[in-house]
Amino acid sequence: MAEIKKNEEPRIGVFVCHCGTNIAGSIDVAAVRDYAKTLPNVAIADDYQYMCSTPGQNKIRDAIAEHNLTGVVVAACSPRLHEPTFRNATAAGGLNPFRFEMANIREQNSWVHMHQPEEATAKAKDAVRIAVAKASLLEDLIPKSVPVEKAAMVVGGGVGGMQAALDLANAGIKTYLVEKNPTIGGRMSQLDKTFPTLDCSQCILTPKMVDVYRNENIELLTYTEVEGVEGYIGNFDVTLRKKARGVLTPAEAEARGIIGGGCTGCGDCEAVCPVIKPNPFELGMAPRKAIYIYHPQVSPLIYTVDFDACVKCGLCVEACGEKKAIDLDAKDEFMTVKVGTVIIATGYDIFPIEKKLEWGYKRFDNVITSLEFERLICASGPTGGHLVRPSDGETPKKVAFVLCAGSRDNTGVGKPYCSRFCCMYSLKHAHQIIEKIPGAVPYIFYMDIRSFGKMYEEFYYRIQNEGAKFIRGRVANILEDPVTKNLHVNAEDTLLGRPLDIEVDMVVLAAAVEPSAETEKTRRLFGVSCSQDGWLLEAHPKLNPCGTTTAGVYLAGVCQGPKDIPDTVAQAEGAASAASIPIHRGEVELEPYFAQCIEEKCAGCGLCVNLCPYGALALVEKDGRKVMQVTEAKCKGCGTCGGFCPGGAIKMQHFTTPQIVAQIDAFLLGGEQ
Amino acid sequence: MAVKKDYKDQKLVEKLRDRNYYIPDSNPEFIKEVEQIGRTAAHMCYQCGTCTGSCPSAPRSSYRIRLFMRKAILGLEEEILTDPDLWLCTTCYSCTDRCPRNLAPTDVIMAMRNLAARRDIIPRNFLKTTQLIYETGHGVPNNDANRAARKKLGLDEEPETTHKYPEYLPGLRKIIDHYGLKERADKILSEGE
Ligand SMILES: Cc1cc2nc3c(=O)[nH]c(=O)nc-3n(C[C@H](O)[C@H](O)[C@H](O)COP(=O)(O)OP(=O)(O)OC[C@H]3O[C@@H](n4cnc5c(N)ncnc54)[C@H](O)[C@@H]3O)c2cc1C
Ligand code: SF4
Ligand code: SF4
Ligand code: SF4
Ligand code: SF4
Repeated sequence: MAEIKKNEEPRIGVFVCHCGTNIAGSIDVAAVRDYAKTLPNVAIADDYQYMCSTPGQNKIRDAIAEHNLTGVVVAACSPRLHEPTFRNATAAGGLNPFRFEMANIREQNSWVHMHQPEEATAKAKDAVRIAVAKASLLEDLIPKSVPVEKAAMVVGGGVGGMQAALDLANAGIKTYLVEKNPTIGGRMSQLDKTFPTLDCSQCILTPKMVDVYRNENIELLTYTEVEGVEGYIGNFDVTLRKKARGVLTPAEAEARGIIGGGCTGCGDCEAVCPVIKPNPFELGMAPRKAIYIYHPQVSPLIYTVDFDACVKCGLCVEACGEKKAIDLDAKDEFMTVKVGTVIIATGYDIFPIEKKLEWGYKRFDNVITSLEFERLICASGPTGGHLVRPSDGETPKKVAFVLCAGSRDNTGVGKPYCSRFCCMYSLKHAHQIIEKIPGAVPYIFYMDIRSFGKMYEEFYYRIQNEGAKFIRGRVANILEDPVTKNLHVNAEDTLLGRPLDIEVDMVVLAAAVEPSAETEKTRRLFGVSCSQDGWLLEAHPKLNPCGTTTAGVYLAGVCQGPKDIPDTVAQAEGAASAASIPIHRGEVELEPYFAQCIEEKCAGCGLCVNLCPYGALALVEKDGRKVMQVTEAKCKGCGTCGGFCPGGAIKMQHFTTPQIVAQIDAFLLGGEQ
Repeated sequence: MAVKKDYKDQKLVEKLRDRNYYIPDSNPEFIKEVEQIGRTAAHMCYQCGTCTGSCPSAPRSSYRIRLFMRKAILGLEEEILTDPDLWLCTTCYSCTDRCPRNLAPTDVIMAMRNLAARRDIIPRNFLKTTQLIYETGHGVPNNDANRAARKKLGLDEEPETTHKYPEYLPGLRKIIDHYGLKERADKILSEGE
């Protein structure tokens, strides 16, 4: 890095890019260049076909030496695209890279004013004049390096979170895997088979769950939630609430001096517990006790007391005996861990489809959701894998599958997006009933079949060949026969242009999905943005799909948007790789756009301290008086404090008041008469 | 529904009947029969419309091969077999060449014509063609205009067919008689009169 130069008489170099014809097609580049030469402080103005190319960059480097420049302006595309490129070129010429300023004359000019060359050229001149005004006042800045804690956290223990944690751990990074439920596994553990290969979901998931449990670099924290987050990339202090589980692991028991004790998963407690509650894992279709596990393959295999239901009769304590695993007086515990990077993988919930009244979910017994179907068709589910009608326990023969139930819906009741895996799992469901129930006929009501993945179209072909009936048309409404509890499905067969009414035994709604209940709270704690519909927002939809705008926080799986298991796992591996980079480098550079306190001007009122959304400011004693102090690593340069300070005591580096005023002046006062 | 509407008046019931509704699997066996005769997996049609787009008959008529594929899958037997459009396919096989699911829509149509014929549902022009073939060996026999045109082109007035070699006609008739086609055509046509 160049030495910090004292501000001297500014000498600015201006470079106007043609971008092939992207800019030169509508802007008179030569005119802009010649105009730049007339501006105060401009020492040289030049133009080139592609400023970002090696010869273009060399022009900048050479001009800095030749003309002894103090600042560089490139009029070209958006700084999002090439600011880093031109900063490097500026540094290569021996200047501090922050002495570079960019004028966007492409995205905000030539592309939108394609048919107004004269006005576009005038606007480009304005942009260059404004940039030169700022460049004349730019100062040397030194980015700040902070060390990175060699540990990571993954929030959410579905297949996405598990994969991310395994990758991080296998890369040698200590990883905390935080899961709010008593077991890891997420939605995938509720599925029977998985498209398009039809492998049994539990069979491929359980080994992964065991790997997570056994991996010595993973600290598995189930029945745990994130309570608070402090800090920034490299140094997040995360406070966790370990919910009172009421049952000790062997390790916890040992810590309490109960040697050889702790829960072995024997289930003796469950047998004696007198309280019966619906099991949420079975979507309420099977009972559990107040002391419970979700299902036999849980990881860790430790029981949990539901203290909202427990009557504290103590029967379980007695049954547990010498293992002394049960502590009915357990309280929530808090712990704080320090991690360098974080991956959020909080998954999804099923949209409450009863809100779409016309399909009668929760009104008609035999209308179920696809997730309920998964449990009913699963051999380890509440009916032992026998699909039955809730109304009478009979095996349904004619089953209608309603696709896009609540998805692709712009009424404000449902969701505007495509839920992305329902087409495929409905094909799978059709296959499952054909396979399991002799003579069963699945009717698939669809608008499009979106079978986009590898081997997915082939799967669609296979299911059609197996005899599934496809009806192109969204189901308008469903009516129930009050006597037989059969259902009448009304739709249009849009391929024939005729309305139709089919009587079926059961309807399965491929309900839309939405971000899981606690995603909103989690994202706020970590300062991650979300899109309108609540899915967490990636840094760039194409070029940075795992990152977020908060440095050091990454996304994996459905919390970022609906995706199936292959895509979830792929994104999880991407997120793990991204999250491991700062940890392996050991330190990160922060953009030096920090607020700075001008202590002579600071009155110590402290009003800015509460305004800062990132908690970067504090009042400190200095020379016998109170002044504000910035924790630079926390400051995001948002400018909230700088704009507010009544005494003008806060300087926003790279966006100082004189720089901004000069830009405004250049715009208002300058220009051709 | 378990409760059926009843207006007591039979005429009124008929008038208010839901005409547009159909029972989607009115005859689930129909598609199987069609596939057996047509030797093509018609149930795999995904309704892309390439067939209708390729069909020379479609822009000139109300015939839509894609619709016939759909109705066949749904088993709308009555509707298909009584639809005069069924006979508007020219059997050019363009659709069969282009179908992305590698089906033979032409053969589906031919199979359904066969099924229609079993019920004596055959348009008069097809029956008359049968009679002409029986009599002359040609669906479209030679005529004076053709003869003049052939002469102008330096060809024999009669082509190298039963027209030139009538001795082959009895053989041809034997085949047609074997299937009873002529007899059938005569019978249906006379009944129609
Ligand atoms: C009916 C149905 C059938 C499907 N069938 C298939 C299929 O056959 N093939 C296929 O590829 N995909 C299928 N899918 C999609 C599949 O379920 C998802 O792709 C997959 O589960 C996504 O995994 P995930 O880890 O992103 O989210 P999830 O599985 O939702 O896991 C998220 C985890 O995070 C936890 N969590 C949430 N919030 C917090 C918090 N604040 N703190 C801590 N932990 C939290 C949750 O408890 C959960 O364990 C199906 C989906 C449905 C609805
Ligand atoms: S009886 Fe004790 S050891 Fe056995 S499952 Fe219950 S809590 Fe665990
Ligand atoms: S995946 Fe298919 S069923 Fe689901 S919303 Fe998208 S188009 Fe509809
Ligand atoms: S081209 Fe083939 S698949 Fe497409 S509509 Fe016609 S028959 Fe069906
Ligand atoms: S074979 Fe028949 S249906 Fe197919 S394109 Fe030719 S005329 Fe049309």
